[in-house]
Amino acid sequence: MGGTMKLHRSAKLPRLLVAGSLLGAAIVVEAASGLSASASSKTSISVAYAVDTTFDTTPLANKWWGALKKEFEAKYPNVTLVLDPIHGGEPDFLTKLALQFKQSSPPDVIQFPSTEIALYQSSGYLKTMDQYLVGSGKSWFSQYPNVIQNEGKIGSHIYAVSAGENNNGLYYDKAILRKAGIKLPWQPTTWAGIISAAQAIKKAEPKVIPLWTDAGTSAGPNGAGYGILNLLAGSSNPTIQTGSGKMVVSSKGLLETLDFYHTVFADGLGAPTSQLFSENNAPNIPSTDFAKGTLGIAVAANFIGGNWTKMVSFPYWPQAGTAIGVAGLPKINGGGYASTLSGWDFGISSKTKDATAAENLINMMQEPTNMIEAANWAGWVPPVKSYWANPLYANFDAPFAKEFGQLLPWSSELPSSANYSVWVQAIEQASGTIAQTPSTTGSAAMSQMKGYVTNQLGSSAVASLP
Amino acid sequence: MTVSTTDLDTVTGPDLAQLWRTRHDRERFQWSSLALMTPAFGLLIVLFLIPMGYAVYLGLTNLTLVGPDSVKWGFTGLQNLSRLRQDTTFWSSLWVTAGFIGGSIVGVVVAGYWLAALSMRARPWMRIFVGGIVVVSWMMPAVTAGMTWYATTTQGGALGTLTGLHNTNFLDTWPLIIVTVANVWSMTGFCMLVMGAALRNVPSEAIEAAVVENATAWQRFRMIVLPLLRPTIIAVVLLTALLSLANFGLIYIMTQGGPGNSTNILPLYSYQQAFSFNNLAYGALIGNVMVLIATIFGVFYVRVATPKS
Repeated sequence: MGGTMKLHRSAKLPRLLVAGSLLGAAIVVEAASGLSASASSKTSISVAYAVDTTFDTTPLANKWWGALKKEFEAKYPNVTLVLDPIHGGEPDFLTKLALQFKQSSPPDVIQFPSTEIALYQSSGYLKTMDQYLVGSGKSWFSQYPNVIQNEGKIGSHIYAVSAGENNNGLYYDKAILRKAGIKLPWQPTTWAGIISAAQAIKKAEPKVIPLWTDAGTSAGPNGAGYGILNLLAGSSNPTIQTGSGKMVVSSKGLLETLDFYHTVFADGLGAPTSQLFSENNAPNIPSTDFAKGTLGIAVAANFIGGNWTKMVSFPYWPQAGTAIGVAGLPKINGGGYASTLSGWDFGISSKTKDATAAENLINMMQEPTNMIEAANWAGWVPPVKSYWANPLYANFDAPFAKEFGQLLPWSSELPSSANYSVWVQAIEQASGTIAQTPSTTGSAAMSQMKGYVTNQLGSSAVASLP
Repeated sequence: MTVSTTDLDTVTGPDLAQLWRTRHDRERFQWSSLALMTPAFGLLIVLFLIPMGYAVYLGLTNLTLVGPDSVKWGFTGLQNLSRLRQDTTFWSSLWVTAGFIGGSIVGVVVAGYWLAALSMRARPWMRIFVGGIVVVSWMMPAVTAGMTWYATTTQGGALGTLTGLHNTNFLDTWPLIIVTVANVWSMTGFCMLVMGAALRNVPSEAIEAAVVENATAWQRFRMIVLPLLRPTIIAVVLLTALLSLANFGLIYIMTQGGPGNSTNILPLYSYQQAFSFNNLAYGALIGNVMVLIATIFGVFYVRVATPKS
């Protein structure tokens, strides 16, 4: 009996063990499949951006991108947004970004300067946004001014949309102009009007710098965009690159522009080279000079107004709104205003594994609060026209934001090509030569520029225009 | 193989004639040494020859940082070399580099020797104090040295205050001279240490004998000190030349090669071509020229420093 019992129990035990094992295995498989299902539905996209150069300060950049990540992941819980901040100045950022695209897994979304769009597109790095932009919920794109819509357009396809724009105009110190006997509000109608106002300032206030216009190479390619290229845009012939892609090294417009620089520096109206050639953020120096009362007029970018806000404090100057006036930079002989348009854009990598998430991210960045906060903290004009009247934007650095929004349609975009980087280096060298050696005539500076560009690109890549 | 007199006594006939024909005053090759040298050869090939060969190859291509040629690029023969030959900015940069290196060598050797000679006569506490300061300037990273000299030589800096020329921007007025002086300042500490050690090895008896013979200070320096310091000076000259040739950071911080191209030494021009103008291949070619220049300095050093038998 006992033997039977034992036999019976021993026959049952394996069955129990097998059943238990099967149950356990089923639980493990179920748990694993659940985990796997959860993991497969969670994706991630990355966004690369210049953390030290686009926003006025790095903490502001971190704040904006951090808030965006939280908002995005709350709205799309199955997508993780991986922030990829790239440190350094703009040249460092561009080098690092280009090297990232040489790797097998580049970032899904990038924020980069508009002058790079053609280079990235021709490398095959960018995904076309045509389908995305014709979809619903993209009313923001239709509100871009035409010039900004075309910024990311190559051929008949769109490869980038704007993050924010920089345009330029004239700032002036009202008290200094009043002392110089100039009627306010001041709006010169020609370049001669600017020179005569600067000469009046020099006479009335000899210790004041009459006119700031960027010169030299220290501010990198963007420096020219905030200075000399605005004058070229208002000259008789503003062409930088011909339709066939040749860089213009001799033209009436270039000569007029360099002659203007010659007049400014030969007459002692320009800023000292210690400021112009400063490695320390030269395009922002006018904001400190104005606050100290040592600058009369400046050809400068829209972000100068934002520098005086408490948030940016470069320096904080609450009286700036009443002490400083803004005027459009006139064309050489009148007939409207001129400015360059140098913006930052968003693009989607052609290798992205989740285009929908990338598009959703761009859509979120274009929403009013996000875009206006970026514009305020980075010193941009938002590209969406309806945002210009939004109190969040218009009141940030009043009255400057509104004034520069109104000047935006007068702006013209800069070329996007590899040869442009050589050309812009040459015109900066030419302006720097005039600033340092004011006896250099406009034609001598243009010859120097022509020699440099021709030497670098070859005679077949340059053009001389009437 | 060494052959003793006893061995020779036992050898006769043609073997003896062969042994007498063998030169024993020359180093002989031993095949077994190849095995011992293999690891060093391997490292040399992997860490130097392959990267160097690749850099030479890159210099003969059309590779760019971004743009169509960054994706599809290839060998373009001597096209870049032809461009280099006609590149006036390159030749100007070569002259600027020569001026920078030449000025640095003269400045470092003269200042280093002068400080070392002075410290020999100084009180110990002063020798340690001055030596410490000079060595700190040598150990300072190029970025810090560049920032220091930028702040010192621009308008409102210490140099303007000391000279009373408050409104003068020395860096923009004499850019190549200022960056060369900054380089000399940052490298003199090394030269002072080396020269100091060499000067301590000059036998005092020789100097005393020269004094007894009424030799002037200049004669003592020229005929006793200088010949004894020759190997040290050659080493300092070579190292100063090579370190100056590679001193990208100092000038990048101070002037970025400007104003114009007045301080655009070859490393900066190479960087500008590769990363500002996107021409990686042309930048690599300019880098190869720098390697060639460094090699010339190296060969010169080996020839001059090798003792003549």
